[in-house]
Amino acid sequence: MIKITDLEKYYATEEVRTIALNKLSFQVQEGEFVAVMGPSGCGKSTLLNILGLLDDPDGGSFIFNGIEVAGFNERKRADLRKHNIGFVFQSFNLIDELTVFENVELPLIYTGVKPAERKKRVDEVLEKMQIMHRRKHFPQQLSGGQQQRVAVARAVVNNPKLILADEPTGNLDSSNGNEVMDLLTELNEAGTTIIMVTHSEHDAKYSHRIIRMLDGQKVTENVLSEYKSKTLEV
Amino acid sequence: MLKNYFKIAWRNLLKHKGYSVINILGLALGMAVTLMIGLWVADELNYNAYYKNKERIAQIYQTETYNGETNTGVAISRPLEFVLPEEYADNFEHIVMASWEQSMTLRVGDNVVNKNGMSIQEEAPQMLDLQITQGELNPLKEQNAVMISQSCAKALFGTESALGKIINLNDRDNMMVTAVYEDIPNNNSFHAIDFFIPWKHYIVSEPWLKNAADQWGNNSFQLFVEVKEQADLNQVSQAIANIKQEKNPNSVQFNSKFFLWPMEKWHLYADFENGISSGGRIENVWLFGIIGAFVLLLACINFMNLSTARSEKRAMEVGIRKAIGSSKSQLIGQFLSESFLVVFFAFGIALGLVLLFLDGFNELASKAIDFPWNSTIFWVAAFLFISLTAFISGSYPALYLSSFRPVKVLKGTFKAGKMAALPRKVLVVTQFSVSIALIIGTLIVMSQIEFSKNRPIGYQTEGLIQIPVMSYEFVGKDDLMRQQFLTSGAVMEMATSSSPSTDVWSNRSGYDWEGKPEGFQEDFAFTEVSYEYVETLGLKVVEGRGFSRAFATDSSAILLNEAAVKYMGLKDPVGKIIRQGSEENPTLLRVIGVVEDAVVQSPYEPVKQAVYVLDKYGNASYWNLRLNPGQSAGENLAQIEEVFTRNFPNTPFSYDFVDQEYARKFAEEERVASLAKIFTVLAIVISCLGLFGLASFVAAQRTKEIGVRKVLGASVANLWLLLSKDFVLLVVIALLIASPVAFYLMQEWIQKFTYRTDISPLIFIAAAFGALLITLITVSFQAIKAAIANPVKSLRTE
Repeated sequence: MIKITDLEKYYATEEVRTIALNKLSFQVQEGEFVAVMGPSGCGKSTLLNILGLLDDPDGGSFIFNGIEVAGFNERKRADLRKHNIGFVFQSFNLIDELTVFENVELPLIYTGVKPAERKKRVDEVLEKMQIMHRRKHFPQQLSGGQQQRVAVARAVVNNPKLILADEPTGNLDSSNGNEVMDLLTELNEAGTTIIMVTHSEHDAKYSHRIIRMLDGQKVTENVLSEYKSKTLEV
Repeated sequence: MLKNYFKIAWRNLLKHKGYSVINILGLALGMAVTLMIGLWVADELNYNAYYKNKERIAQIYQTETYNGETNTGVAISRPLEFVLPEEYADNFEHIVMASWEQSMTLRVGDNVVNKNGMSIQEEAPQMLDLQITQGELNPLKEQNAVMISQSCAKALFGTESALGKIINLNDRDNMMVTAVYEDIPNNNSFHAIDFFIPWKHYIVSEPWLKNAADQWGNNSFQLFVEVKEQADLNQVSQAIANIKQEKNPNSVQFNSKFFLWPMEKWHLYADFENGISSGGRIENVWLFGIIGAFVLLLACINFMNLSTARSEKRAMEVGIRKAIGSSKSQLIGQFLSESFLVVFFAFGIALGLVLLFLDGFNELASKAIDFPWNSTIFWVAAFLFISLTAFISGSYPALYLSSFRPVKVLKGTFKAGKMAALPRKVLVVTQFSVSIALIIGTLIVMSQIEFSKNRPIGYQTEGLIQIPVMSYEFVGKDDLMRQQFLTSGAVMEMATSSSPSTDVWSNRSGYDWEGKPEGFQEDFAFTEVSYEYVETLGLKVVEGRGFSRAFATDSSAILLNEAAVKYMGLKDPVGKIIRQGSEENPTLLRVIGVVEDAVVQSPYEPVKQAVYVLDKYGNASYWNLRLNPGQSAGENLAQIEEVFTRNFPNTPFSYDFVDQEYARKFAEEERVASLAKIFTVLAIVISCLGLFGLASFVAAQRTKEIGVRKVLGASVANLWLLLSKDFVLLVVIALLIASPVAFYLMQEWIQKFTYRTDISPLIFIAAAFGALLITLITVSFQAIKAAIANPVKSLRTE
């Protein structure tokens, strides 16, 4: 599903040029759950942003679902993103001015789903995330765990093929953190590909494979559990 | 989608109430000003909209050149009344001679009123398409007919039908009402006319009109025409231009020319300079139109500044939306919807403000503008206005906010750079440049008015009243009335004059004197007066003496003003002889005195050369009465009225205070000044609202910095200086931009007054001082609030 080859990304200030990604290559197959680990500044988040089509690589190739997307313009990226990718952030990133229901509904609005259908799908996913009773509340009225469940609900409401999670438990206590990890595992078991950036060895154990990075490069790759590919390799 | 946009917009407004109030109120004020000015401009542009044929109706204007200076006026001579229909009929649908508008006494039984009337030829009702509600279609056919407006009919007859009734005119003629016409609405020519009487009647009742029929030099009438449908006004103008010179060789030396001035231009383009149209009220229309646009711009700038200043708070939302799949155009749509919503609320409030202040505005601008509830055009314009304002104020924030890169804002590393604040600074400078230019402009207009008001005017307007000579009964009773008024004790002196003491109605040429240069085309302001004129008005005699009953020879005496002495180049003028009339049979006038120049016409122009002679033909138009300063004005007036009504029981007593009449000369400029004052204050208020909001954001942004500085020992004064100086710098830049621009524009404006003040540097200092003071007050509130906050609190929030 994802194949990156020799991916490069630089950040330049007036005086120094920092290499964030240094000829990074790996593949992720559909249905896989991959954890990316490494110390701060190793390029994890940069990688996630590029995979999420929020950022553009400076070199190398990025093939998503068989299409070369490196070099796509903003509009094409936005289009691909809204149909295929869901995000879960460390700090939840819910919109304060919208209720739980409205936050979850937002991706459907952007993909042009009709109101009746939207209501049905939002209700379904809220039910699944066990947050239905809070649908009319605003984010500030919820606990951290509840907010992250809403964020996950928002990430999956569009049935994306890929979920990108950036330290999803970073702001949560352990029991809420485990709940979120269980949710992600369920989603993965139902067929969604997940790539998660984390500092937590505990969370990483939920995945099939751990990619460890340092200074923009892949250093090791451990396979934790056998994953049966449902499709052919890209 | 749209619903979602509006929902977020609405919740955002509620969440940040202070910000919303500043934003909406600022915009509402700006929109109210623009709306009000818009209504005023529309009213001005729609002048004469009542007349269906206004494109084809015109007045005949005349230009004549004296000593190289070309004068343009509407007064024409009577022979044109015959030449046009006889020789140029092909061009015209209607040709209508008319008198000047005149106040006359109308009496029905015991009911007596003074109303404005005009004598006019019988095709006038047809040409003007007057809506006759009662009576004949050709009401001015008979000599003793009168057609009256509905309100005039009401004043005279109440609810009874006026048709066929008799009205006594000026205590002399009985006229029969042949028609009642719908009142001509306020912003139209002829609106001030209450009734029309037939031209035929005018000719019969004023004997001098018979002689005027072949006098090309007697310019005492008006002529209105409607050209044929296919005719071109310019071509007709060309055709009639030289009639006077062809028919009357004496006019060649003055290069007399006629031209048609279309009804559409009467109101806004009434000024002529050296025979060429030089604008008029249209300049005010432009001036206020531009002010309106600027005030709206100021309000839009507030919106932009406040929206982008809040950008860091909203950056996160933008990032999330982009990550979720919003495209840039969807975000632009969202921010534009927000500005649309704000503008829509602001418009609602602006409408309320306009309705609340419309009466006051009408009074100030001397207008009668109704709110156009039923006008489709207004609502369409309002919708466009809302959309345009929303677009102008929303576009920059929309483009700015929607261009945030999600990667940065989501990571929380987003900080608007130094450059991000630059457009905001430019906008603040723009705002204050406009406000300061308005302050300077208003101060200069006020100082010019004050300067002209303080001009020595050469006579005493205080304690002087004038009674218009309205009825034939007055004629020949000047001396009798003077005696009675003096005996009453209310009046110190009385004199008659052929023009009011605040104007000159007549100009004369045809004088000759020793030393007059060859070919000199003289032109004098001409007033016929009675003996005690100099004493009554308080004119100062600088040489010789005024008229006196003690000298029988004064019937052929002439009095000059100083300007006339200079104009004629006379040395030792007293005793000099001035010849008037034909060379074979001249009238000899002896100069008996010179009086100081009296400013009776424009207070902004030099005093015209004037001559005064004794009135031998009963041409008095006004009785001038110098009141007894030992009594109150009320007592004086009561006694004068008593004498008046004893003598003229059928005429309503009416009078004017001359000082009030004189003050009217400043009415137009004062109107401009008071409107400018109001707009300036509003512009400042709007700018300050924006500045206030901006200062609060800047203070919020720098909370941590302020906390650190405070911990390190900064005093409140240090911090106040830190936060205020950026804004002060912007206002100083605005001052540097606005001052030369305002100076240049006002220099142009003040050129139109010959008698003008110098633009004082004090005005610029005052404006600078005022602008800085206002800025400091506005900014200091936020600065001090931030400076005295507990630093522990602000540091903990980071």
